[in-house]
Amino acid sequence: MEAAPSSSSTSTSTSSGGSVTFYDFLDRMRNPASLDLVRSIKSFIVSFSFYTPNPDNDGKKVQDFYLSMEAAIMEHPLWAAATFEELDSAMEGLEKYVMTKLFSRTFASVPEDAKIDREVSEKICLLQTFLKPEHLDIPAVLHNEASWLLAEKELQKINTFKAPREKLLCIMNCCRVINNLLLNASMSENHALAGLDDFLPVLIYVTIKANPPQLHSNLKFIQLYRRQAKLVSEAAYYFTNLVSAKTFIVDLNGKSLSMDEIKFEESMQAARLTQTNRATQIETSPTLQGQTDPTPTRMHDKEKDTSGGSNYPYMDAEAGELTVGDVERLLSLYKDVVTKYTSLYKVVRHLSISKTETPVPHSEGTSFLLTQPEGTNTKIDHQKGN
Amino acid sequence: MGCSSSLPDRSSGQLAGLNSENGGVSDAKNLRVKLVLLGDSGVGKSCIVLRFVRGQFDPTSKVTVGASFLSQTIALQDSTTVKFEIWDTAGQERYAALAPLYYRGAAVAVVVYDITSPESFAKAQYWVKELQKHGNPDIVMALVGNKADLNEKREVPVQDGIDYAEKNGMFFIETSAKTADNINQLFEEIAKRLPRPASS
Ligand SMILES: Nc1nc2c(ncn2[C@@H]2O[C@H](COP(=O)(O)OP(=O)(O)OP(=O)(O)O)[C@@H](O)[C@H]2O)c(=O)[nH]1
Ligand SMILES: [Mg+2]
Repeated sequence: MEAAPSSSSTSTSTSSGGSVTFYDFLDRMRNPASLDLVRSIKSFIVSFSFYTPNPDNDGKKVQDFYLSMEAAIMEHPLWAAATFEELDSAMEGLEKYVMTKLFSRTFASVPEDAKIDREVSEKICLLQTFLKPEHLDIPAVLHNEASWLLAEKELQKINTFKAPREKLLCIMNCCRVINNLLLNASMSENHALAGLDDFLPVLIYVTIKANPPQLHSNLKFIQLYRRQAKLVSEAAYYFTNLVSAKTFIVDLNGKSLSMDEIKFEESMQAARLTQTNRATQIETSPTLQGQTDPTPTRMHDKEKDTSGGSNYPYMDAEAGELTVGDVERLLSLYKDVVTKYTSLYKVVRHLSISKTETPVPHSEGTSFLLTQPEGTNTKIDHQKGN
Repeated sequence: MGCSSSLPDRSSGQLAGLNSENGGVSDAKNLRVKLVLLGDSGVGKSCIVLRFVRGQFDPTSKVTVGASFLSQTIALQDSTTVKFEIWDTAGQERYAALAPLYYRGAAVAVVVYDITSPESFAKAQYWVKELQKHGNPDIVMALVGNKADLNEKREVPVQDGIDYAEKNGMFFIETSAKTADNINQLFEEIAKRLPRPASS
């Protein structure tokens, strides 16, 4: 059983007490009186296995199901005297239960999503090598490594949870850390509070530093499967800001930053080469490495101890020494290098893709419905079920 | 970026701060609306928001005001309340493409320009067109000429604002976040123009 992310602030817009209310929900579902509800839930979950994934449709189906269950719970004798809060926590329990069961069927369920996740993550890896807070015009009073780290940690927790509410809470907690940083800065440094002006750049920076796992899929999952009535107000605002940060990162180019455009391109290129290089050393045989190590200086070094293979005799040449006669040789060497680099890049890309796909282990959700709970059954069933 | 200004204007007429977190329930008497601010960088969007929101609170207790997500409830004379959830946007060019993420689903859009800057007035017109194309079709739009205190440097005639707003079915007002002039009026007028859900 996963722990619910703690709510780190006094904000009232998210309901609290994750696991407690979830146990309460499970308890009520075990009550014979709720058999009809259990049946509906069970048949809804089973119905999902009949269709191939289609995120938008799936999202709509789940949202409609939430609404019909909400109506059913409101009418239900077990909740006859329930307050608004109790009904709400029943619905939170339902969301968590259903989405834990449907998780593998609904999370990153189409290849397209996995692809975008990979692209976002790869781009962030490149940006991490050179991006500085100044490039996003983050004012010096907000340079606070400790706060940033805290915010990053919150964001990185996102894959520890399966329930949309808990994933969303990770985002909220990250944003609250940033908010506190802004508030403290405004109080201690007399730095005027300026809303989004400072918030968004810090969130973008933190997102890049954190490189949260499967960012795109997580955002999509929350958008589709968090109860719509709950993705409003502050939660919607922070959620949108992270979507916004992700979009900014995906579209980020030399014009997006306070940085010379040429310098940006050079830094991205250098980052790509470094990464290719690192992957080469890990993944490939020494001979191949010796021949194709794409970092110029290193290539030069290695050149000397590589027997046979290609030679790059111009590495020590000065522009003035070259003659027209060199052009042909230079051109063919150039083509040789580019061809090798391109194919190597493809291989490495492929390798790093298969590497990054190792799934983060998820604890299975509690099962009260399935007569044969899959593998890891949880304590609750044993304690209370028998 | 600093919203240097005189002290918040606390004599805000019939406006009364209301702080009941009603869990986001919106009914005929208590509306909750998403309001988005759009406009060129530097026209004063953030200052307008802070002036409106902080004017209702003790300026020293900043903690009551979220640093980036701001909301403010106003009470109207007919004893209804409107809680504005204010989504400020960053006007800098590098963030311009992100605006649709923020105005999606907004009930109100406040498009701001600076009366001393014709470029910002042109940009405001761009945002109005964007909203007409991609915004919520029932959106209530207001056109705001800010920095009205800089009248001696005015480059956008009042009449231009009035005309453009009228042509596009918008509410128009000139404000000053610096002196607090017309800030509360802006939000009150918007509140009055909101479509009301049928009372049950
Ligand atoms: N004189 C005068 N100055 C103002 C007024 N409103 C804002 N300013 C100043 O204009 C500058 C920009 O104001 P902001 O509120 O940060 O502008 P913004 O529209 O939020 O800009 P971005 O966040 O970059 O999109 C600040 O220096 C403010 O002090 C006003 O009504 N009168
Ligand atoms: Mg601003």
